[in-house]
Amino acid sequence: MTAFRAIVLEHFRHPRNRGPLDDATASAEGANPLCGDRIRVQVRVIGDTIHDARFTADACAICIAAASVLTAHVRGMPVNDAARVEPRWIHTALEGEPPAGRAKCATLPLDTLRRALAASGGVAP
Amino acid sequence: MTDGLIDQSEPLLSNEPSVALATLVAATGSTSKKVGTKMIVGESGRLIGGVTIGGCVDAQVVEAADALLETGGRRVLSISLDDDEAWEIGLTCGGTVDVLIERVNVHDIVDPVAAAHVAARASLARGESAVIATPLDGEPAALVLSEAGARHGTLGDAALDDAAAEIAADVMAGGSRIAPIENAGATRQYFFDRQSPPTTVVIIGAGQIAMSLTRMARELDMRTIVVDGRERYATRERFPDADEIRVGMPSEIVAAIAPTKRVAVVLIAHDYKYELPVLRALLRSPVGYIGMLGSRKRGDAVRALLSEEGFTDEELARIHTPIGLDIGGKSPPEVAVSILGELVAVRSGKRA
Repeated sequence: MTAFRAIVLEHFRHPRNRGPLDDATASAEGANPLCGDRIRVQVRVIGDTIHDARFTADACAICIAAASVLTAHVRGMPVNDAARVEPRWIHTALEGEPPAGRAKCATLPLDTLRRALAASGGVAP
Repeated sequence: MTDGLIDQSEPLLSNEPSVALATLVAATGSTSKKVGTKMIVGESGRLIGGVTIGGCVDAQVVEAADALLETGGRRVLSISLDDDEAWEIGLTCGGTVDVLIERVNVHDIVDPVAAAHVAARASLARGESAVIATPLDGEPAALVLSEAGARHGTLGDAALDDAAAEIAADVMAGGSRIAPIENAGATRQYFFDRQSPPTTVVIIGAGQIAMSLTRMARELDMRTIVVDGRERYATRERFPDADEIRVGMPSEIVAAIAPTKRVAVVLIAHDYKYELPVLRALLRSPVGYIGMLGSRKRGDAVRALLSEEGFTDEELARIHTPIGLDIGGKSPPEVAVSILGELVAVRSGKRA
């Protein structure tokens, strides 16, 4: 098993930060329209800092794993820095790139996080 | 009413001043229909439903109903299912059926039977069962008791209504039947007619099998709700027969429906991204049926994952997978027939 696959499966089985964020200050929902991944990312932004980030998803293992590593990464991070996280950071965190045709599975959480941050008034999406 | 008769009877009821309502109130031997099954005979000759599988028995009911539309009132018609000639060649089922036939003035708000059916329909629309109690002879009267305990109408006095309410509670659980009530020194027979809301089938995955399911379920008196995360799939154009279409996160939609024992959830997306979260939302709910498309091996893998999360063997045994009866079909309509066959078997108590 590749490192990518092992990490994805580990996060899929034991996702970090899965579940609703009761005191969220902003939220966004995203979907991959053909494969059907659906995710909601919620953040609690105080001042310029992300104090908490959680996600809820009916999504594939790659999408769940990406959301898991991403929400853990941006906790405590300035909003502007979080908004500049690139897809390649997710590839690095998962120690590999998704197979052909699955790139959007990994980037959906990032796109949705950016929209949540925009909704919080922090940055442009 | 049952077997989709409510929907079918709408055009008839709006065009007929009165109808004869025939209800199978008792049966012995091997009959093909449940006690409570109904037929409506219109003054114009229209027929909806049937109290037996057909043949000469229904013909006798229609004949009696036609006569009763002339004279008014009500009667119980007892019909033997034995037939001397059929007996000779071994083609008789045997037994008897008792059919209550009553004239109902459909648009008369003081007609107790018409009013009772209107009240029962309101109860069904709220998702509650209802029992209509009505005497088998004498002056027409009807009392409707809803699952939540509400009463509508009367059998004549408070003591009778209280006695009927006690029996209705038992009928609500066990099914329609005749029962005697003693009041003021006399005993009269009453029919307790249990009417239940239709099964709601929540379909997860708006693919081709779902399209067949929504078309066929309507014929079986089942409501359908199509659920998918993909707007392009879950469209009214693709699902003209669905009662509802909901797009969003399937596990959240299912949780919001708060499935009761009258709800069946069929997972036919064949995609773990929906199956696992929806199953997490269902396995500890009172939902009546959970079925999942896929092989036995795949079903075992899903159960193993959920077992790791703490679901018990008993909870995981609620998942019917492979879904449906084994009829050897492969095409979407054939798979839909197999799934609906299993749902009918569960509804009739032939399968758990």
